Amino acid sequence: MTFRSLIAAGMAAATLTGAASPAFAEEITLTLWSRADRSGPLRAGNVVEAAKTLNQMLAASGSDKSVKVELIETNAKGFDADALDVLKAHSVGDTPDIIVAAHEWIGSFVQAGLAANLEEHIAANPNLYDDIIPTLWNAVSYKGARYGVPQDGEVRMFFLNNDMLRKAGKSEEFIASLPAKVNAGEFTMADMCTLAAEVKDAGASELGLVHRPNVGPDFQMAMAAFGIDMYNDEEARLQVSKSGLTKYYGWLKTCVDQGAIPADMTSYSWDSVHAAFRGEKAVAKFHGIWNLGAQLEAFGIDPLDKDAYFKKITWINAPAGEKGGTPKNLSHPIVYVVGDTPNKDLAAMLVALASQHVPNTRHAVTTNHTPINYGQMAMPAFQKEGWGLVAGVPLLEYAEFMPNHPRVGQYNAITFQGVQAVETGEMTVDEAVEMVIEELETELGEDVIILD
Amino acid sequence: MPSSASARQASNALIFLGPAIILLFALLVVPIVVDLVVAFTDMAQTVTIGEFTTRQFNKLVRPSDDAWFGFELRGSFYRALSLTAIYVFCTLTIFNITFGLILALTTTALSDRLGAFFRAVWLLPRMSPSVVYGLLWIWVVDPTERGLLNQVLINVFGLEPINMMLDHPMVLIVMANGFIGASIGMLILTSAIRSIPKHLFHAARADGAGPMAITWHIVLPALRWPLSYITVFQTLSLLVSFEYIFLIMGASRSTMTMAMLAYTKTLAPDIGSGQYAYGAAITLILIVIGMATAMFMWRMSNMKALLAKPKIEVQ
Repeated sequence: MTFRSLIAAGMAAATLTGAASPAFAEEITLTLWSRADRSGPLRAGNVVEAAKTLNQMLAASGSDKSVKVELIETNAKGFDADALDVLKAHSVGDTPDIIVAAHEWIGSFVQAGLAANLEEHIAANPNLYDDIIPTLWNAVSYKGARYGVPQDGEVRMFFLNNDMLRKAGKSEEFIASLPAKVNAGEFTMADMCTLAAEVKDAGASELGLVHRPNVGPDFQMAMAAFGIDMYNDEEARLQVSKSGLTKYYGWLKTCVDQGAIPADMTSYSWDSVHAAFRGEKAVAKFHGIWNLGAQLEAFGIDPLDKDAYFKKITWINAPAGEKGGTPKNLSHPIVYVVGDTPNKDLAAMLVALASQHVPNTRHAVTTNHTPINYGQMAMPAFQKEGWGLVAGVPLLEYAEFMPNHPRVGQYNAITFQGVQAVETGEMTVDEAVEMVIEELETELGEDVIILD
Repeated sequence: MPSSASARQASNALIFLGPAIILLFALLVVPIVVDLVVAFTDMAQTVTIGEFTTRQFNKLVRPSDDAWFGFELRGSFYRALSLTAIYVFCTLTIFNITFGLILALTTTALSDRLGAFFRAVWLLPRMSPSVVYGLLWIWVVDPTERGLLNQVLINVFGLEPINMMLDHPMVLIVMANGFIGASIGMLILTSAIRSIPKHLFHAARADGAGPMAITWHIVLPALRWPLSYITVFQTLSLLVSFEYIFLIMGASRSTMTMAMLAYTKTLAPDIGSGQYAYGAAITLILIVIGMATAMFMWRMSNMKALLAKPKIEVQ
């Protein structure tokens, strides 16, 4: 056999095998943008898993296409910083196909042409979406259309350490009646601080009430309790009221003066805030339900022992600002956003698969987030391990969402300036209100309505 | 041939100056031009330019009939300017110059080995990574009794614990930056003292001068130029420095200098950032302040004389 005939035989063999299998199997790569987050690794993981399911379906149908998910895992410090990074990537043409984001960024994403409108996709796939809890859709709507799929829900609340209340001489009846009193509007925000200060002064705790040290959604429920409605739906503008701000900052000032809230709360690190409550130094903290896992671990309670947990900790909504008012709560869902890219249809299908009951429950139960589908609550995993989440659902009755306005981040940052100024004693309440109103007016301009 | 000689001269100039010019252009001129353009746009989170406007500057000043130019500085901007002035002035005068000078004088007065040891100790903050240095300060001033400072106050002096971050934030950032800044002054001044001809000291001692007189009449006059240089250079670098302030204090109101304000409005995580045009406008003002300060100091310290050609020919 000559060298030439060897080549000819090789070429013939190659042609034959080529004819037997698809000539060029097409692999479509979808990019998934997600920040590395201890509070929800499966948000990205479920999409990667969904690609496996989708590939099996494609293979079964004899398609020569397959999907590969390329994970862009960022180390942004929070969802706000991460959203700014994704907007930067989008501005230079690197738009990801799927983004895991905090829902209030949807307004900015739509404005930047980053998010794909999912109305048609959702309407075309009722079998995949019809069990999603309807109120959650509010979180992904911007100007009447849906631009994302809620990925988890959550409840925020005030946690109270019952052991410290007992040590300060509070009766079991008093402790047990707190949630109902809060919901009836009998126990107010001011009472909360008085109670925290009382426990601290009785020597039952080192600190009173702790809150997040930085800008973030938690403050919205406190603001709402004092009658601040952050968003005007009709005009799609942010809003704030002077009287509401005065009451809100006045409350903070009283709490600091009573010794309930530490004056340097805003210079704490997150670690010290967590350590204050989990290390049993503070009697109360306001944050979110996903703290449950870490609390169980810190207090040495068996994760399946619901009774032991609620013997130690009480959950209440943010109490009303004034007697007879309604309590408030905040739900801040993390959502999947589909990028407006050539692959958006495929990306939307992956999101749909990742949002089904089984994968979502896996995420929700392991990270203490509430379910997105009604049916999930009946699943054994929820019934057994998700007792905390089931217990949190009643609090959702008073839940509000952050407005999906592109400038809500700025709004929160400015109102937080007032929190810091009042708590540290830099400004009086009136000065802080004046400063915050002026900053809101100059920085947000037309986007904010100032009410009296 | 004159033409080839001049061509060679030109190509030599290009070869020698080219890299420096490219670097200067890319790292100094381009950013200033970009900043200038962005400052007059509405660029925000979406990183797009919708229109050209002076709106960003309107956020810093407000119209007022009583004021000189028909406008006055807005609260947050006025505050940032004052905090910047306090921060730069205190860090510079107390630490970078005075403390740097004291360190240089004392470590050169010691034996060589001991002097080198103390200089090395003072260089440690500069050699450690910023984040580690920031973290060490956070641990030192921790407001609980766990903080190093409070342990010393309580156990050694029997005092009450203090909360530096809440009660004395400016002192804290001046000290944190000063401990680092002092080492540059120390190094430059040490080498300047070392370069003073030894015979001057011998002659002074022979004439009966004490250590104070030697310092005053021989050492300090020799340090005039290095001191001028440190003052100008450190003023400019302090004007724009924010990393230790951010690492130790975070985006706190109490230490919101101009550079911090620009950073929090643009890139800092989780504090309403992403307002790139606003940040650029603040930075532009900072650039103008920096240029004006540099020129003023240039005249005041007569730097021109330092950089002038020598009047005698040195062979």
